[in-house]
Amino acid sequence: MKSASLSVALIIALAGLPVQAKDTVRIAFIGPLTGGVSANGLGGRNSADLAVRLRNADAKTPYTYELVVLDDECKPNVGVQVATKAAADNGIVAGVTHYCSTVAMAAVEVYRKFGLPVVVWGAVLPDITYASDYKEVHRVNGTMINQNEAAARFMTGLKFKRWAVIHDTTDYGKGHNKYFSEDLAKSGGQILGTFGVTADQQDFSAELTKIKELKPEVIYFAGLTPIGVRIRSQMDKLGVKAVFQGTSGIVSDAFIEGLGPLAEGVVAFREGAPAEKLPGGRVFLDAYTKQKYPDDPEAYGPFAFAATTLVMDAIDKVGPDRKKVRAELNRTRDYDSIVGKITFDDHRQNAVPLITKFVVQDGKWLVWEDSDYASGKRALVKK
Amino acid sequence: MIAPVWPALVALLVSTAGVLGLLLAEQQWAVIAIVIAAGVAMLMATRMGWDDRIRRSGGTHARTVSGVAVALVIGMTFVLREHNFALLMLCTVLLTIVAGLGLTIQFGHAGVVNFAGAAFFGIGAYAAAVLANKTALPHPLVILAGGACAALIGSVLVLPLLRTRGHYAALITIAFGILFKTFLEVNDALGGPQGLKVPGFVLFGHAFNDPIAIDDETEWSFYLAYAGLSLVIAAAAYVLVRRLERSWIGLAFDAVRLDETAAAAFGVNVAAWKIAAFSIGNFLIGLAGAAYAMMTGFVAPTSFTFGDSLILVSIVILGGLGNALGLVPAALIVVLLPEKLQVIQEYRFLLFALLVIVILLVRPGGLLPRPMRDYSAGESR
Repeated sequence: MKSASLSVALIIALAGLPVQAKDTVRIAFIGPLTGGVSANGLGGRNSADLAVRLRNADAKTPYTYELVVLDDECKPNVGVQVATKAAADNGIVAGVTHYCSTVAMAAVEVYRKFGLPVVVWGAVLPDITYASDYKEVHRVNGTMINQNEAAARFMTGLKFKRWAVIHDTTDYGKGHNKYFSEDLAKSGGQILGTFGVTADQQDFSAELTKIKELKPEVIYFAGLTPIGVRIRSQMDKLGVKAVFQGTSGIVSDAFIEGLGPLAEGVVAFREGAPAEKLPGGRVFLDAYTKQKYPDDPEAYGPFAFAATTLVMDAIDKVGPDRKKVRAELNRTRDYDSIVGKITFDDHRQNAVPLITKFVVQDGKWLVWEDSDYASGKRALVKK
Repeated sequence: MIAPVWPALVALLVSTAGVLGLLLAEQQWAVIAIVIAAGVAMLMATRMGWDDRIRRSGGTHARTVSGVAVALVIGMTFVLREHNFALLMLCTVLLTIVAGLGLTIQFGHAGVVNFAGAAFFGIGAYAAAVLANKTALPHPLVILAGGACAALIGSVLVLPLLRTRGHYAALITIAFGILFKTFLEVNDALGGPQGLKVPGFVLFGHAFNDPIAIDDETEWSFYLAYAGLSLVIAAAAYVLVRRLERSWIGLAFDAVRLDETAAAAFGVNVAAWKIAAFSIGNFLIGLAGAAYAMMTGFVAPTSFTFGDSLILVSIVILGGLGNALGLVPAALIVVLLPEKLQVIQEYRFLLFALLVIVILLVRPGGLLPRPMRDYSAGESR
């Protein structure tokens, strides 16, 4: 009798087990954890880790997730190495990968070869999604293209018509010039002249004198803070009266410190948004703080969080099978995430990425909507 | 007394097993166990005088032992035939050894400093990228051309290198390395900072990037073909360096390194031998770079920084300056260990650096210091 009741108890206990024991599914996170941009990599890693922890804490989900974290050192050769490690491991179902553009460019070939679906969380070069048509590669964050599309639409919306363009001759400046010019043409703006300058040029009087004759309403500058500061201050000396419009490269405190009051009314655009301005930003930041990570999430942390959540939702839905997960990710449309709605276009690029408009007001970069310029108290062009 | 052959064979077998275990180790404890076992074996070998016996037996039966070594590596690649990642790491180790062989001739034999190893590696890589993309040159020639380009561009440095010594010569190569990276970044024809794609290696119509289909069920990794390629290059480079070292050329290199004045007094043309060592070394480094670029399929300036040059130099020093054989364990440690330590994420380089310091504390002359020249009977041929 005793043994019978014991075995009954055992059977009950065993029958109860499968309900509790969930299958473990492994997903990879790849980013630069060491080297010059490691702050961004660590922020992304922590954010992805946070997404996994929150998911695992939820008893209703079908799987337990394990995040396999790999360091690409922001070097393409190491990137190919770790991408191969993740992609060749059949136990890994999907990846949340790359902050550095060159690394992503090298690694997409590997994902293609091994059929590992990945979601890029931080690299901005358009070519990662647009130069090839790999069904494995998705991206939640915006690119230069999105930034300039938003910039062109916004500025023409403010009734500006005539631009002059100054760009530095690096990849960054050239890329921005290309996409902004294309988008501006579509939005009905006109470019009177385009000037390429080297990234360490000191004197811009030749370019600015020409520009003064052209009488543009806006000077579009594609480059980084140091020469941005020089151009803006030399504009003032030469009496060039135009709105100064920059790219993400000048959205820094150093820009305002370098210019003082001259920075007032400068506008610029950047992918993403300050975390607290994101649709789910507060929740994300609270959860992040609760985990006591030693590093900040940085600008792209929320994207890593959103990408990880997106991948886990896809796996929850179709099961841990690379092909099915790939198809599910390809289909993503109007997906609610903390960075806003995610919809992939025909190249699996998030089509509605977040671009924030900034303006300098009283020595601070303010989000446009919060500024006196938006409310009409101040105007970019002084009457 | 002629030394028996078995100590060298046993040492080879044990180390092959260890490397295979390390390549396949997935669990952290396995990696740690293998590292500790290797450390213990190393210590025991020193204490009990095994390493001396192994060296003598290896020297006496050089041909048999090298034959067995090559056979073991081939066997190892075969065991790994379906493990893509392990094969990629194996290829990386082999090609790093080739680059290390180039630096061994420069640093270890002729005493020519070169802190721009990664730059010459990069020249080979970019040469391969451009030639394979833009020309129809057969790919084996592309790889040779990668080496030739590195040697040729290196000749720009010859004049300043001959005029300077010691720290100043080192500074020149460092400056060259930085110059190279900056040049790539501003040069749009070479892809700028974003880098270039490199087509895969093709030999007699067989694309190395295609997996090797055996039947419907089994597919062997495409890295198997690259492993073969890397092994051929590594073996050829190794034989070349060993032969050079044993020949009168190697003697001249040693004379130049040890005392330039004395060498010149004995009629050794110091400048000519320095140029020779520098060019042969750069050729080997460029060769490795070209093969590596075709394998990984992508080149970008950030892969060829001063830091990467230092890593190459550290491999040569860790292995035992001037000893080609020492490169094998050193490359394994420097290439494989950081990779195997991925689990500890951002702290892995910390632990790795500590380990290297510990090794040099225990063995100040490197893992396998270069032995004295031994022309006694048995080792000849």
